[in-house]
Amino acid sequence: MVSENIITICDGTGCIQKGSDKLQAAFEKEIAAKGLGDTAKINLSGCLGMCDKGPVVVVNPGYTIYGNVAEDDVTEIVESHVINGNPIAKLAIQEDHLFNRFFRVFGDAKFFGKQMRIALRNCGIIDPENIDDYLSVRGYEALAKVLTNMSPQDVIDQVKKSGIRGRGGAGFPTGLKWQFTADQNSDEKYVICNADEGDPGAFMDRSAIEGDPHTILEGMALAGYAIGAKHGIIYIRAEYPLAIERLEKAIEAARASNLLGKNILGSDFYFDIEIRLGAGAFVCGEETALIRSIEGKRGMPRPRPPYPSVSGLFEKPTLINNVETWANIPVIILDSGDWFSTVGTEKSKGTKVFALAGKVVNTGLIEVPMGTTLRQIIYDIGGGVPDNKQIKAVQTGGPSGGCLPVEYLDTPVDYESLAEAGSIMGSGGMIVLDETSCMVDIAKFFLEFTQNESCGKCTPCREGTKRMYEILTRITEGKGQLGDIKKLERLGNMIKKASLCGLGQSAPNPVLSTIANFRQEYEEHINDKKCRAGVCVELLIYQVTDKCVGCGACKRVCPVNAISGAKKEQHSIDTDVCVKCGACMDTCKFDAIIRV
Amino acid sequence: MVTPLDVIKKKRAEAVGRIIGRGYLATKRVYVGMATCEIAAGSKEVMEVFNEAITKDGLTDVYLSQKGCAGRCNLEPTVEVIEQGKNPVRYGKINREKAAQIIERHLKNGEVIEEWIID
Ligand SMILES: Cc1cc2nc3c(=O)[nH]c(=O)nc-3n(C[C@H](O)[C@H](O)[C@H](O)COP(=O)(O)O)c2cc1C
Repeated sequence: MVSENIITICDGTGCIQKGSDKLQAAFEKEIAAKGLGDTAKINLSGCLGMCDKGPVVVVNPGYTIYGNVAEDDVTEIVESHVINGNPIAKLAIQEDHLFNRFFRVFGDAKFFGKQMRIALRNCGIIDPENIDDYLSVRGYEALAKVLTNMSPQDVIDQVKKSGIRGRGGAGFPTGLKWQFTADQNSDEKYVICNADEGDPGAFMDRSAIEGDPHTILEGMALAGYAIGAKHGIIYIRAEYPLAIERLEKAIEAARASNLLGKNILGSDFYFDIEIRLGAGAFVCGEETALIRSIEGKRGMPRPRPPYPSVSGLFEKPTLINNVETWANIPVIILDSGDWFSTVGTEKSKGTKVFALAGKVVNTGLIEVPMGTTLRQIIYDIGGGVPDNKQIKAVQTGGPSGGCLPVEYLDTPVDYESLAEAGSIMGSGGMIVLDETSCMVDIAKFFLEFTQNESCGKCTPCREGTKRMYEILTRITEGKGQLGDIKKLERLGNMIKKASLCGLGQSAPNPVLSTIANFRQEYEEHINDKKCRAGVCVELLIYQVTDKCVGCGACKRVCPVNAISGAKKEQHSIDTDVCVKCGACMDTCKFDAIIRV
Repeated sequence: MVTPLDVIKKKRAEAVGRIIGRGYLATKRVYVGMATCEIAAGSKEVMEVFNEAITKDGLTDVYLSQKGCAGRCNLEPTVEVIEQGKNPVRYGKINREKAAQIIERHLKNGEVIEEWIID
């Protein structure tokens, strides 16, 4: 149903503290009293970023924002605005945050209303291939602002004030990184955008680029000005052809509009951006390997220090940030670092984009304020687990992350809380697992990935992940041995400590976290040769029950003649011969064959 | 002195002028999702249907634009119809046939097709 009027009440922590929960009841009462029923809908949104003016209520159409709303105001808002269509000027507040535009189009849908779109503010709103669309939503105004009246240090100070930390995984404070690079004395410096996005199943950065390429260019140009660099490079995997095409178009259009290149916007600032394509090796997302790859060398990591901010591309000071980090920068400059720091938690500021996938009703790309709990994400936005199944765990951080069991669903997503719980924020993968997911199998899946992607330079990662993978394979095949869990733990901890780069240092995480939280499942696989989720094929046993009438249909389809039994008598399956293809079960008309 | 801020404001005014010149103030604006994910789900065909309705069949008073992915992966391709003064209508899982119906029923006759709405 599309209601004629939508009243959105901010349900963020700030507004709740100021009494927004009472407003909901008041609006409901008023709407019922006036008999508005279907024509007016009440909607609760996530934080709208106007906490100082809370409680905040937005009335659509027209997108009128009311601030400091008291219960006494409710009658007037309903009568004057909702019924008569006259917004109330004296209660309305003027707030033009960049992210509000997304809310105008999508805010009344439950899936979107609970989100807060800062990095993805324009995705799904503007035509990404038309620079006019970006300009019309205050595009490149942040760049103009710093060129007009901010010093490079002012820009860095704003980024520091915002409290933003890197979105590529490690969560290093962005402002500090900018300061380190700015402080280097060098006639040549570089700015790099890391768009390698190698985590399996991740598509946050691709969507961000495809939906709003100019914001990345603007963010990089702002950094160029702040740290004194002339050249920007976007390193993106060749498997993202549309994102590349849109970046190329955007760069061309920006050059033609004097937003890149010489004398940008009439100033004496020069900055230009090139694209470098990666071949899609996971390790090339690691910053030192990425830099080698741009230099035309084999993409292998090197020990740090020196950090890229001191010695990076061509041994020059280099600032490298992730796509999502870049997309936040223009907002920090236009809406101020102070405003940005009001969003999120004490140590994790702003929002985070997640690719929500797995056993959840609404899969998709979401962006939520830091501090939102896993439960809110999975149930309020994701719509819960489909088919009335039980949720078992949430995997965050992809191949470098961990699996959190249901007891941790109230963990807020921020760098510290997720780490404390035994996982990581990572770059934003979030997979919901239910009772049909086998935790050993999940761990094996991620380890197979990291083991394949290990570059081979250091022994712990190259050999260690291989051995771990072998052990996991035999466990899932029913050949697990006593002591395998201990071995995995020992190997895992050793690989974490001794590996050269983040790939090896984090590769054991999916295994170690599933052992920590789901040890029983490992034990069942090893001791009882059982997979409770029914995923590990080799551990399944097919049996014939007394429902069998002895028709012989199963016997005929069995490819290995594992089934025997006389006509009209109950058959049986020789489990040593059985290859677990399931053909018998599919054929049986009497549901007499079961899998245990 | 002309500052970069002055320059960008002028550029923005010109950009808005060009967007309006392309018909932005038309009664109905139609946005079709055109990211990799949307295209994989079939949004190019959907775009084609709208495009042809405008260029070949003379559908007027409609502003057609592509857009990036808003994030509703399981409901793509998505299409929004936005009318001034009304709440935006968001459709999901649109294909050729449904696009043709949106043109006939919603764009020409003002009927909102409830079954396809994303909430
Ligand atoms: C194996 C490995 C893969 C990585 N892949 C990526 C990636 O795909 N994208 C990314 O932005 N950062 C990736 N990183 C992190 C980068 O090394 C670096 O920390 C990041 O680009 C810094 O940007 P940020 O501070 O904005 O997060 C990876 C790190 C490792 C160890």
